[in-house]
Amino acid sequence: MKTTEILVVGGGPAGLSAAIEAASLGCDVVLMDSDLKLGGQLIKQTHKFFGSREEFAGTRGFEIGNLLFDEVEKYKKEGKLEIFSNTTVTGYYKEDGIVSYTIGEETYDLIKPQRIVMATGAQEKRIAFPNNDLPGVYGAGAVQTLMNVYGVAPGEKVLMIGAGNIGLIVSYQLMQAGVKVAGIVEAMPRIGGYWVHAAKIRRLGVPIYLQHTITEALGDKVIEGAVIQEIDNTFKLVGEPMKIDCDTICMAIGLTPTCELLWSAGCEMKFVPQLCGYVARRDAMMRTSHPDIWVAGDAAGIEEASAAMVEGRIAGLAAAASLKPEGCQMLKEKSTDYLKRLENLRAGETGAKIRCGLEQVCCECWG
Amino acid sequence: MDSKKVDVAVIGGGVHGCSTAYHLAQKGFRTALFERDYISSGSSGRSAAGLRYQFGTEVNILLAQYNMKCLKTLGEDLNYPGDLEYDPAGYLWIAYSETQLEQLEKNVRLQNELGTTGSRVLNVREIQEVAPFLNTDGMLGASFNQEDGHINPHTLCFAYADAAKALGVEIHKKTSVTGIITKNGRVAGIHTDKGDWEADAVVCCAGAWSVEVGRWLDLEIPITPERHQIMITEPVERMKHPMTLCLDDGSYWKQCPNGTFMLGVGKEEVKDTSYYASWDYLDSATERILPKMPILSGIRVVRQWTGPYANTPDFQAIVGPTPAEGFYIDCGWSGHGLQFAPSVGRIMAEFVNGEKPFIDVSMFRYSRFEEGELFFEPACI
Amino acid sequence: MTRKMIKDHPILNFEHEKKKVVKFTFDGREMEGFEGEPIAAALHSNGVQVYRITPKHERTRGFFCAIGKCSSCFMIVDGVPNVRTCVTALEAGMKVETQTGMGILKPEK
Repeated sequence: MKTTEILVVGGGPAGLSAAIEAASLGCDVVLMDSDLKLGGQLIKQTHKFFGSREEFAGTRGFEIGNLLFDEVEKYKKEGKLEIFSNTTVTGYYKEDGIVSYTIGEETYDLIKPQRIVMATGAQEKRIAFPNNDLPGVYGAGAVQTLMNVYGVAPGEKVLMIGAGNIGLIVSYQLMQAGVKVAGIVEAMPRIGGYWVHAAKIRRLGVPIYLQHTITEALGDKVIEGAVIQEIDNTFKLVGEPMKIDCDTICMAIGLTPTCELLWSAGCEMKFVPQLCGYVARRDAMMRTSHPDIWVAGDAAGIEEASAAMVEGRIAGLAAAASLKPEGCQMLKEKSTDYLKRLENLRAGETGAKIRCGLEQVCCECWG
Repeated sequence: MDSKKVDVAVIGGGVHGCSTAYHLAQKGFRTALFERDYISSGSSGRSAAGLRYQFGTEVNILLAQYNMKCLKTLGEDLNYPGDLEYDPAGYLWIAYSETQLEQLEKNVRLQNELGTTGSRVLNVREIQEVAPFLNTDGMLGASFNQEDGHINPHTLCFAYADAAKALGVEIHKKTSVTGIITKNGRVAGIHTDKGDWEADAVVCCAGAWSVEVGRWLDLEIPITPERHQIMITEPVERMKHPMTLCLDDGSYWKQCPNGTFMLGVGKEEVKDTSYYASWDYLDSATERILPKMPILSGIRVVRQWTGPYANTPDFQAIVGPTPAEGFYIDCGWSGHGLQFAPSVGRIMAEFVNGEKPFIDVSMFRYSRFEEGELFFEPACI
Repeated sequence: MTRKMIKDHPILNFEHEKKKVVKFTFDGREMEGFEGEPIAAALHSNGVQVYRITPKHERTRGFFCAIGKCSSCFMIVDGVPNVRTCVTALEAGMKVETQTGMGILKPEK
């Protein structure tokens, strides 16, 4: 059976960062990602990041991805990092810490790692309305994958559901790709995303329907339109239904952490609404209640890619340091800086929700 | 909100607990059921959920006849709006040795004598007729009943629980029973993590966890929990294939009504109630099953889970009153208990009511172990 | 039919012209796609949105999550049912078919 010192599950911003840090301490690292291409959400992001210089402010997501790939390449060449793409980790067997995985649709195998960093990311939420299963109703992540990674337009005219950051940013990206945006529907009375994104969208003449919901998708075999309607503060339908002409409905309702493997491993889990679902309890170094398992990125709570990358760095470093006593000094030095960066990213009013969520799952140390 | 005083407290929200509570309520007992987690969360919901007439001892055959008759129309009888997925696709027991075949013949003879008409012995050619995708290499014969089959173990529990609730039974989910209250030498109620309940009688339907319940009353319930694992595949279109059990290695598999195949294999297992699966199970099961059912070679396994058997020394249940006055048990079903919920739920209510059970289950008595009166069920895995 | 690809983009350069074009069939019709892109993306750019018909209610289903998690884009690829086309790479000569119902097991030859 294959063995490794560190297994990183997930090759998005958190997983790549974790793998790089662990390899930098001299650990043998295996990284598995279920997608055909590494990079997770980063390679779909064409907008410039906010924040400070350390967080790549002013750099576009996919360019940050390329920077991480350069580091990955370096450790691959040194033989410290092995990458399995299109590889889905399917199980964690608690009795002996063995992990099962499938490559593509056919190959099944096992690996025994000494430490694991779970950076499994997130999955899209959905809402219920008639015909929400028809082709043409796509998740926001899926729309980004189609158009920004593979250069395929999802449709000609898109109705966006959700005016959070993802809804706003993807609407803008659709227009950059030459796709019309029929409107943005938001159940809340105000826009959830950053004002700068919303202002851009409005300037381009896209209507934002606040306190509205989608009541029905139209179409027989594929989407041919949608019906939206105003709602009041108790989410009760008011006003008249309005027909929207569109061939695609993009769902940017939000994400929820992907945590099946953490459950399988018996990690202590907690439902935290501010982090958008069940998340593992962890210490400041991202170690879960399972002494061999760390968590990072959206799998630890839905946040932005900048925070995911720092969490990944902490988790990768801490997991490696637990195997390499000489790494403890490095962990001490670097983690002070990383923790400071996380604090900055989560400062102010926009970080209040995250801070409140983290208070519920972070513990001092597992002892 | 709740009265905190009932006639009978039932411990365990598996299928036996739910059926017992339903039957108690039918007799007019004020009943409360206590389940540590959710309804069907223990061995019931984790069961392979096979249903069969094919047993090898008189008591089980008679109970099975009643079970099978009930299960056919249970959804309607309990006014359950969901789907119990009752599916009489047949059940095949395959012998690989003369001894095994003789035992199967004996079982079928006894079943026929007791009035089970559908059970018969098949030769290899007949096996191929009822299960055309089997590789019959090494098979000597089989016993078969076309009316045996499958049910959804979750909806089965929900159907009984909902029917019980409709009759006024309090169902306390996420409530752990932590002790039994006694007064003047008899049962007087239970302690739970949500407070105490007064009760004149307590029925223990706690499966593999019954050992702990017994200890509260200084009863040694001779159950050894044993982990069992099951795997399930992606769904594929329905094929002609009955539930198949091979006596050479305890491997079994069937296609559920939703198209998925359920697979399992007999194997030395850990003796506890843990829910953790093992990685080598996939290899064990595929090694044994694929040569016997080659068409499954390309199918993907999508999930694996575990559930404990409650094994007794003779692999027969323990049913009835106990030396502790007011304390009744229905446990120790050793892996074939799900399908006995209709008959034994009724019998538990009869016991509590002081009636003679409608089928004699005295051989399941608690005292048989110290009396040395073990009686083995030859048709169990 | 030509594929509908995004060509002029203010930020991204897809370099479609550098990719290897391969031929595959969808329900017997010949189509073109790039080697290594997800089968689902190749189909979408060829105007195909319906990937399967559900077993019970016979609903049309297509692309949805794009990360191999939701089962919406299952198709029959080279005779194998339930293939996640959003995370399966396109290869030359692939035979891609709409999956109606649950897929049928075939005896090994």
